[in-house]
Amino acid sequence: MSQSKAEIAVEKFLEFTDGEVASFFESCVHCGLCAGACPFYVSTQDPKYTPTYKLLPMVKAYKREKAPLSKIRKMFGLAPDPVTEEELLEWEPLVYDSCTMCGRCTTVCPMGIDIAGTIRKMREGYAAAGLVPEGLQRSAEFVEKTSSPMGVTLKALEAQIRHQEKETGIPIEIDKKGADYMAILSSMEIMGYPEIIGAYAKLFKKAGLTWTISSEAYEATNVGVQIGSGPLAKSIVKRVVDAAEALEVKYVISPECGHAYGAIRWAGPNLIGRQFKFDVIHIIELLDKLRREGRIPAGKKDGRKMTLHDPCQLVRRGGLLKEPRRLMDDSCSDFIEMESSGIANICCGGGGGVSANPRAEELKLAAFGQKAKQLTGIDDLEVVIVPCANCRTVFEDGLDEYELNYEVLGLGELVAATLEE
Amino acid sequence: MSFLEFVEGPLFYFSGTVFVLAGLWRIIGLIRLGRRKDISEPKGSAAAGFIRGNFRHFFPRRVFTKWMWMHILGGYAFHIGLLVVLLFAAPHVAFLSDRILAGFSWPALPRWGFIIAAEFAFAGLIVLWVRRFSNPVMRLISDWDDHIGSWLTFIVMLTGMFALQESHDILRAIHMLMVDIWLLYFPFSRLMHAFTFFLSRGHTGATYGRKGMIP
Amino acid sequence: MTPQTVFRRLQETGQAGLGFALILLCALWLTLAGSAAYANSHVRAPDNAVNSFDDPDADGPPNTQGSESRSAFWSALKQGDIATTSSSTADGKAMQTLGEQWRLFRTQYILKYSGWVLVGVVGLLMLYYLVRGPMKIKAGRSGKTIHRFSTVHRVAHWFIASVFLFLGLSGFIIMLGRPVLTPIIGREANAILTSAALQGHNLFGPLFIFGLIWMFVKFVRGNFFQMVDFKWIFKLGGLLGGHVSSKKFNFGEKAWFWLLMIVGSVMSITGLIMLFPWLFEDLRFLQASVILHGLGAVTLLAVAFGHIYIGSVGMEGSLDSMLKGEVDENWAREHHDLWYEEVTGKPASEPATKGETP
Ligand code: HEM
Ligand code: HEM
Ligand code: HEM
Ligand code: SF4
Ligand code: SF4
Repeated sequence: MSQSKAEIAVEKFLEFTDGEVASFFESCVHCGLCAGACPFYVSTQDPKYTPTYKLLPMVKAYKREKAPLSKIRKMFGLAPDPVTEEELLEWEPLVYDSCTMCGRCTTVCPMGIDIAGTIRKMREGYAAAGLVPEGLQRSAEFVEKTSSPMGVTLKALEAQIRHQEKETGIPIEIDKKGADYMAILSSMEIMGYPEIIGAYAKLFKKAGLTWTISSEAYEATNVGVQIGSGPLAKSIVKRVVDAAEALEVKYVISPECGHAYGAIRWAGPNLIGRQFKFDVIHIIELLDKLRREGRIPAGKKDGRKMTLHDPCQLVRRGGLLKEPRRLMDDSCSDFIEMESSGIANICCGGGGGVSANPRAEELKLAAFGQKAKQLTGIDDLEVVIVPCANCRTVFEDGLDEYELNYEVLGLGELVAATLEE
Repeated sequence: MSFLEFVEGPLFYFSGTVFVLAGLWRIIGLIRLGRRKDISEPKGSAAAGFIRGNFRHFFPRRVFTKWMWMHILGGYAFHIGLLVVLLFAAPHVAFLSDRILAGFSWPALPRWGFIIAAEFAFAGLIVLWVRRFSNPVMRLISDWDDHIGSWLTFIVMLTGMFALQESHDILRAIHMLMVDIWLLYFPFSRLMHAFTFFLSRGHTGATYGRKGMIP
Repeated sequence: MTPQTVFRRLQETGQAGLGFALILLCALWLTLAGSAAYANSHVRAPDNAVNSFDDPDADGPPNTQGSESRSAFWSALKQGDIATTSSSTADGKAMQTLGEQWRLFRTQYILKYSGWVLVGVVGLLMLYYLVRGPMKIKAGRSGKTIHRFSTVHRVAHWFIASVFLFLGLSGFIIMLGRPVLTPIIGREANAILTSAALQGHNLFGPLFIFGLIWMFVKFVRGNFFQMVDFKWIFKLGGLLGGHVSSKKFNFGEKAWFWLLMIVGSVMSITGLIMLFPWLFEDLRFLQASVILHGLGAVTLLAVAFGHIYIGSVGMEGSLDSMLKGEVDENWAREHHDLWYEEVTGKPASEPATKGETP
């Protein structure tokens, strides 16, 4: 009962240190290369933002309590000191504000250490001990009340759907049992970019597939994954799984949102402890598949000069590398890659809960500087395709901050706009 | 028993055994910590990812080489140089085949090859180590283990270099003594990265491999 | 119980000490077994500590140096022993007289005075430190920094610095071991020390050449002579007080840079000649090399001591540039005013105080 916060956190740290994480901690040779890959270090040049340094409290706990031969080290007084609450507090901004769990550091690490995955596990300790930044805590509370981190109610969603039905002239059915596909959306899309709902309607009508949106589980964003609370993440996934299985759909379509995809596609089954009775398919994956099958043939290409942002959780950590590129090639005639695009792409700076954490605003904008540099490296660029609603809001803030004038578009919208009439 | 005979004989067998047993203990301990089971539907093979991840990280990506080149060259010069010296220098081959492999032997490098490999090893290690204390990031993340590991390895190399004339037993004995100390330190330190790297690269490779990516 | 459960027990019940003991025990056992086997199988010839130079293969350890070992050749040469080597050249006779002059110069001047020169320089520096103390940043540290050297610059510097110091130390053991150390530690110990130093010196030589080229490439920019350097020379670099202006590097630094480059090149070339004496038929090259190499070493080391003094304890704030790459604005303002103005766009006459935004 009288466990201190530090003890709770350390217990979780150790629980989440399996052989994988342990091998990371054992192997890190402190070469510092990861710093050069991390947008937070590169833009601030502050050594404390070195990726491996962000893990220090967890490393210490492991080396003291769990590492093979740690008992012998202790015997000789060579084990690290116990982790204290002050230390955890000092590290809290490093763990939450300065890591988007983008995984870029892994691509330079000679030991292949997955810092992003380990930060995710480290956050479990922080969340369990209640050491979470206020802003994220607030979104979590919102989710518990309204199921959406931005407080999007069903009423608001219905209003947006009605509006899109009017725009496109295509009816959209809610809670249609037996539909093949069930779409979930991120709050950001519902509130900020509702055109995507119209785009879905248009595309799916053309492809001739049946789809629906659930009134029980329309929200894809998973705050639990962002703060690192397993139980919360599980309840959010569970809601979607229950709704999808009740509606007996074959597929759940994950929206253009990075973390949402990772949360349901890769973490989901592990969180609820069983496989789903449906498949999770990302909207880009689906569009690419339909395109290959000739069900949504491409029409006239957009002639503007465009580039593609690779959201970390979709590409590097999600596995969707070729799909968005094939769609781009079909949809625009002047597509140009940015430097280091693809698997080593630079994060927008706002993933992993950073953009939901007001305290990190300044850091986020600083980190976006790296993105801005990639963009300005392309002459006469007009449009950036950003297939992630969260990245998109970060782009809008960031482009404003750096006084850049590019149009930002979702990939689904682009595909819908260039569909053969 | 002379000092040389002591460090070449009993002390060497002692530290060699500690090296092997404690090293194995640590690696087996790591493997036995297991890996969380992943039941999400895979897109690629985890096992293939384990292997591919291991190879992928030998080769830095082109976009990073702009700022990593010095470290890459230094790291490779040191590690390859040391490996070659360790396994192919004539005195080392003679020692390994005499004391450990019961006469089994392989062709050694000619003298000039040995010397060139040693040059690379020294150049690389010096680059790595001076970088460690002249860069704010490195100063922040380095701990005593990093420094002791680098210095011990350096001293082993240095004493080996002192013995290059192969004319004085005491120089040979000092080299051998440092090797013994190095072997004793190795399994309890970060030098173990020489063996654990395949696990960390492999685990990450497997995680990403399931997703059809190799980072 | 399977081995696995034994293992887990040991680890989980906190009895890893027992495991440690187990490892120790096994190690001990294998040690005994191993050494017994070794004692039986391998009776080592009680060879003398020192091999005879004439025949390195006589009865020492197996010749692992390969067929091309020349160490005996130039070791002998380093001892000042010309007779063996000159016999291998065509005009050995002409060499003998020159050889004697060379030997005399070496022992009468270089060996005699070089040590004292270095001791003298260190003494002077200590005296200067005691009288004038370290040079402080007059306006105090501002807390704000400007970028001076990249990581590659710093690594190049420390690379050549460490190699240079090692070469200096081992070089002086080789050079002064016989006259200075032998009376103290004895012939035998000196022979061993010299052998070690010589091998070390030979191996590190090529690293110095590499470092020198690297240093040149990274540092040559900013080290060319500029008009402000005249004033600097007239004011003796402010050694005696007064203000001196300079850009990125002042004349003192430039002089050190070029000295290192020029004398360093001479050291490299003469060193190579001594490492590969068969490159030149004419023995005079070798003799000149030995002399030049010695003179160069003393010169460079003496100046390096001064450099190290200013770079570390002698001047507050200068070491930052080589450890962090960043220097305090007030340091830059006081020591490299023109560079400061160029980089920050602010006049160097106003101290940069804390909290001011650049
Ligand atoms: C006998 C074997 C080995 C020894 C003695 C050894 C020794 C060392 C030492 C002393 C360092 C620290 C250098 C520094 O101060 O930065 C180092 C760094 C490193 N080692 Fe090893 N190592 C060995 C094998 C390996 C192997 C097999 C790998 C990988 C496949 C490896 C990969 C690295 C990497 C990536 C670094 C850090 C990056 C760097 O500083 O270059 N090492 N090693
Ligand atoms: C650049 C680095 C090194 C150089 C130049 C070097 C050089 C030498 C030389 C010249 C000898 C023969 C000594 C003699 O017969 O008198 C020797 C022996 C030996 N070296 Fe090294 N060495 C180096 C690194 C290492 C390392 C890293 C290890 C081990 C981890 C090692 C282990 C040994 C062993 C076990 C012997 C046999 C000693 C004996 O026979 O008593 N050396 N080395
Ligand atoms: C070990 C102690 C040493 C220390 C503390 C030291 C310190 C420094 C510092 C602080 C600087 C930068 C000065 C500035 O900001 O302008 C510097 C530059 C330099 N150092 Fe050293 N140094 C040391 C040894 C050496 C050695 C042994 C060498 C020669 C082999 C050397 C060669 C140089 C050169 C060539 C420069 C650049 C000067 C120029 O470009 O004009 N240093 N050193
Ligand atoms: S995962 Fe991304 S944000 Fe986090 S430390 Fe690595 S590079 Fe930086
Ligand atoms: S790059 Fe990898 S091995 Fe190097 S310090 Fe970072 S995490 Fe450690």
